[in-house]
Amino acid sequence: MSVILKLDQVAYSYYSDTGEVSVMDNMDFTIEKGSFTAIVGPSGCGKSTILSLIAGLLSPTAGFITLYSDDFAAPKIGYMLQHDHLLEWRDIYHNVILGLEIQHKLTPQYLTFANELLEKYNLAHTKNLLPSELSGGMRQRIALIRTLTLKPDLLLLDEPFSALDYQTRLLVSKDVHHIIKSENKTALLVTHDISEAIAMADNILLLSKSPCHVKQCIPIEFEKHGITRDKVRDSKLFQDYFDLIWRELQNENTET
Amino acid sequence: MKIPKPKIKGAEHYSEGQLNYLQRKKLYQFGITWGRILFLFSFLLLWQIAADKEWIDAFFFSSPIDITRLFVDKLLNLELLHHIGITLMESGISFLLIILLSLITASCFWYFPSVGKMFEPFLILLNSLPKSALAPLIIVWMGTGYPTIILCGISVGLFGCILNLYQTFQQTDPERLKLITTLGGNKFQAFTKVVFPGSLPAFISISKVNIGLALVGVIIGEFLAGKQGLGYLIIYGSQVYQLNLVILSILILCAIAVLLYGIMNIIEKRLKC
Ligand SMILES: Nc1ncnc2c1ncn2[C@@H]1O[C@H](COP(=O)(O)OP(=O)(O)O)[C@@H](O)[C@H]1O
Ligand SMILES: [Mg+2]
Repeated sequence: MSVILKLDQVAYSYYSDTGEVSVMDNMDFTIEKGSFTAIVGPSGCGKSTILSLIAGLLSPTAGFITLYSDDFAAPKIGYMLQHDHLLEWRDIYHNVILGLEIQHKLTPQYLTFANELLEKYNLAHTKNLLPSELSGGMRQRIALIRTLTLKPDLLLLDEPFSALDYQTRLLVSKDVHHIIKSENKTALLVTHDISEAIAMADNILLLSKSPCHVKQCIPIEFEKHGITRDKVRDSKLFQDYFDLIWRELQNENTET
Repeated sequence: MKIPKPKIKGAEHYSEGQLNYLQRKKLYQFGITWGRILFLFSFLLLWQIAADKEWIDAFFFSSPIDITRLFVDKLLNLELLHHIGITLMESGISFLLIILLSLITASCFWYFPSVGKMFEPFLILLNSLPKSALAPLIIVWMGTGYPTIILCGISVGLFGCILNLYQTFQQTDPERLKLITTLGGNKFQAFTKVVFPGSLPAFISISKVNIGLALVGVIIGEFLAGKQGLGYLIIYGSQVYQLNLVILSILILCAIAVLLYGIMNIIEKRLKC
């Protein structure tokens, strides 16, 4: 498998009148193409900052972030935020093609692709509805489709389900996982929900706080044990992973 | 006394409770509407009687019949329409200019935040000024005529309008701006796709306030520098003690204000669906 993203000794500080907040000073990790990685860590440890750095919304104070692609084009990044931010004055279809509109890509190929995505994931009937007519879970899936229409190589998801209620969160995270896997995307998910991370990811990066660094990388291997993804939450292995990560995070809390 | 039950269309489709609710609501509406009509009618009647019986001096307070007579006279020789037209035209131009100038300025302020930050205190200062104080100055600089009156019309609303629009633009959810950035958009696209459309409801209500302010400014201008228009008629009438004319002009101004507000309401509804 080839590497798609590499963070090399990345440092980042926020500056303000009250002083410098060094969020990370030596962050290293790599993401392999086609993998689904979850970043789990205590809140405020810098998870969102990492995603902003990767997406280029912030520039590292030191170190390198490298994105690799198969062809010569620069790899494209898709970003999914905590809230769906569907624009209430546009219908679903026009929300979905917002990215295409912005990048002047309203070509027949891209539009067909957007329509295919809606068809494939049973959302075509919502095309002419307004966002307010959709449930929270539905809206979040539309937000994912909006990101996918731009054919990103790497998907960044920043706690995309935390605004949903528990029931919906289980369903939508399953759907989103399904969509991402069937579109063959590389994904980097930030979450504070341990079970969500275990249920969705192939690898979990456990972060620890101040300064933020990767404490442990835990491969999640349900497939090896013959457990399919939609049944993982009932398995013993799931509980084992949960206990392991829980203990690590507890240690973290007692250390500081 | 038994109150008759109002008829409800398609009553057979509703349950007893729902029907009861609709009937009570209709009765309430009916009462309010007729209450208003009754109030207005008795006010006019009392006014007329008071003038006829000389409880009040009809020379200063006029009477509904005199005003109506004057209205018909002036309407027939088209003089009144001319003055109404002038005031409407001046208010319309002032309003459009307020909106246009505010949109341009507020957008620039949003696009270049440091410029906005720099000019904000000056605008707040100008906005807190009683704007009619500027009118004599404008007349001295620009003489009498349409431009002066239109400028007076603009000066009342403009600064507040810029500030309000700018603040509305600034209140855009930063996460939405981030969304546009992550979709590959630049700042201009953030404005056209998110900031402006998101500010549209506020923009409409700001416009509603400013169409009224434009009218206020134009009337002030006409008081001081007009040779025609309703503001001029009011001042002229008061100077020659033609109080019929003054009151008539004021009533027409009321009607115009209601009309303009109504038009804005219709536009607002159109934009919503
Ligand atoms: N704009 C900012 N200015 C100053 N400090 C910030 C800013 N954004 C985040 N921080 C600080 O950086 C740290 C990491 O924030 P963040 O990446 O949002 O954490 P997480 O997503 O893991 O909750 C926090 O301690 C937060 O207080
Ligand atoms: Mg965060």
